[in-house]
Amino acid sequence: MLEVKGLHARVEGKDILKGLDLTVRAGEVHAIMGPNGSGKSTTAHVLAGREGYEVTAGSVLFDGKNLLELEPEKRACEGIFLGFQYPVEIPGVSNLTLLKAALNARRKYRGQPEIEATDFLAWVRDRAKLVKIDPKMLSRGVNEGFSGGEKKRNEILQMLILEPRLMILDETDSGLDIDALKIVADGINALRSPERATILVTHYQRLLDYVQPDYVHVLAGGRMVRSGGPELARELEEKGYGWLEAA
Amino acid sequence: MSLAAYTEGFEQFAAGLPAGQRSARREHYERFLKAGFPTPKIEEWHYTDLAPLGERRFSPAAEGGAVPTAALLAGADRLVYVNGKLDQAHSTAAARHGENPLLTDGDSVTALNAAFATGGLSLRLSRNERLPRPLQVLTVGVAGNAPAMVHQRHRIELGENAEATVLFQFLGQGAERLTSHVVEVELAPGARLTLYRVQDEHADATLLTRIDATLRRDSRLETVAVDCGAGLVRHDFNVALAEPGAEVALAGLYQPAPGGHVDNQTRIVHAAPHCRSREQFKGIIDAKAKAIFVGKVIVQPGAQKTDSEQRVANLLLSRKAEVNAKPELEIYADDVKCAHGATVGQLDDKALEYLRSRGIAADAARALLLRAFGAEVLDQLAIPALRDRLAVRMGLAVEDIFEETVGETAE
Repeated sequence: MLEVKGLHARVEGKDILKGLDLTVRAGEVHAIMGPNGSGKSTTAHVLAGREGYEVTAGSVLFDGKNLLELEPEKRACEGIFLGFQYPVEIPGVSNLTLLKAALNARRKYRGQPEIEATDFLAWVRDRAKLVKIDPKMLSRGVNEGFSGGEKKRNEILQMLILEPRLMILDETDSGLDIDALKIVADGINALRSPERATILVTHYQRLLDYVQPDYVHVLAGGRMVRSGGPELARELEEKGYGWLEAA
Repeated sequence: MSLAAYTEGFEQFAAGLPAGQRSARREHYERFLKAGFPTPKIEEWHYTDLAPLGERRFSPAAEGGAVPTAALLAGADRLVYVNGKLDQAHSTAAARHGENPLLTDGDSVTALNAAFATGGLSLRLSRNERLPRPLQVLTVGVAGNAPAMVHQRHRIELGENAEATVLFQFLGQGAERLTSHVVEVELAPGARLTLYRVQDEHADATLLTRIDATLRRDSRLETVAVDCGAGLVRHDFNVALAEPGAEVALAGLYQPAPGGHVDNQTRIVHAAPHCRSREQFKGIIDAKAKAIFVGKVIVQPGAQKTDSEQRVANLLLSRKAEVNAKPELEIYADDVKCAHGATVGQLDDKALEYLRSRGIAADAARALLLRAFGAEVLDQLAIPALRDRLAVRMGLAVEDIFEETVGETAE
């Protein structure tokens, strides 16, 4: 599904990714861990096409398509979803407006008709239950007045509604209490399927107790320095990152 | 400043007046002639220079023309003016048309208006009377043999507890044109007036308006003014809160035409205690356009418990756009609440990026954010058909923009 080869990227003139390789097949869950400043978030942002990230070398193929030449909105329509570490507040644009616009953009991209208003609302209500968000909150501005945990749950809700094929979650677990963490994990697990894949960018082992990864990668200095199974995450939890960087 | 063309026009106009009216009109004209068009030397005209109008030639006797029937609102009574002349065929409320007294005295523009003014809306409601439907006063400018000059006087007098909704709407076809409107408003105790003004004139048009309102005890005036279209626009709002409990709420949304100029000047006088004033103005300024807002609030001695708030927010969408926003508070009472705030900003890049990351095309994402910005004012216009049409016109209609731009994305 996703093939990243020798990816180099810079942010504000600073080289962050220095030859990143990553292969993600449908049905898999990958966790990317690593110390602060190793390039975890940069990887997520480059894949989603955020502005300010300059790719200087390497390639990214998504289902055989060159992802790097697609605008962020087209990547989203192709089925990539980025869960933000710091979701943005947008007063005046309601959550429902955003969701409907996003859903219809995707449908148009695929040549499908717009969703019926009643079907849309039923779908949103159904999904909102999964993340325990009161549908009434959705007529408010996007993330407006939401607590930190509510914002993260709202990211997961958007993901559940849009049903992406590749979910990239950038430190979605940070700042969550245990109840919120479980809800977020349930949302991610609800979407797990043989057709979909997930990349979890995380600093801690905690989320991985609830979302079992198939692969764990350690990113340091802009490259993958180690890849393994779920046991690698536990090892990191015990030993920290120092032993890898020294290696 | 020669103003010769105006004098010529005035002699022609005066010759057509009943003999008894000529001398009064001539006095107004002389006053205009003496002062000339305002220039930035006058404080209130610091940002808007009308001197170039002096060199131009406008004809006060313009021909009529066709009415754009699509603009006629269903569910409203109507007065339709084409180049200042009442169009009987499209006016369902022709009885509300009349010659109005030329009471308001003010700057030279008002004097010019008084010299040439033709009749307009003359709405008098008696005690407890209510207009069952909004009254649409549609002013249409059409191109003729010579650039037209149209000056109108309107008067709205609501008796005790009377209620009305009036919409002044300006539309125009391509041609240089000078239009001035003076609206005098008198609200008796408990009266409520909702006044909408929507301007979508042609880019070559100059529009100068002035509202002078006097509010008695517990009366309420609410205005929503929307501007796009015309190249040069100046609006003066003069509101006197003359007796306790009077309340005014002015809202405005302006999006000057490319290279256009929109100047809003409000002047609210709290002359009595326990009055309330609210101002909310929002501007979307792009491509070499210029917007001005000067909001004066005067709290006179003795006007205790005044509650006043002024909010101005401007969105600059281009480096060449310009905005001047200035609150001017003069407070001569000590137990008052007067708040004001003005902001100038750009569209939020982070919000744009977030929307795009969800699959929404850049144009549609911009429209969503612009709509969110403008909606606060636009949604106060409680005539849905008109509001929706304006949203489309101003590029703020979200649904329609999705149709277009997301359609393009789907290759």
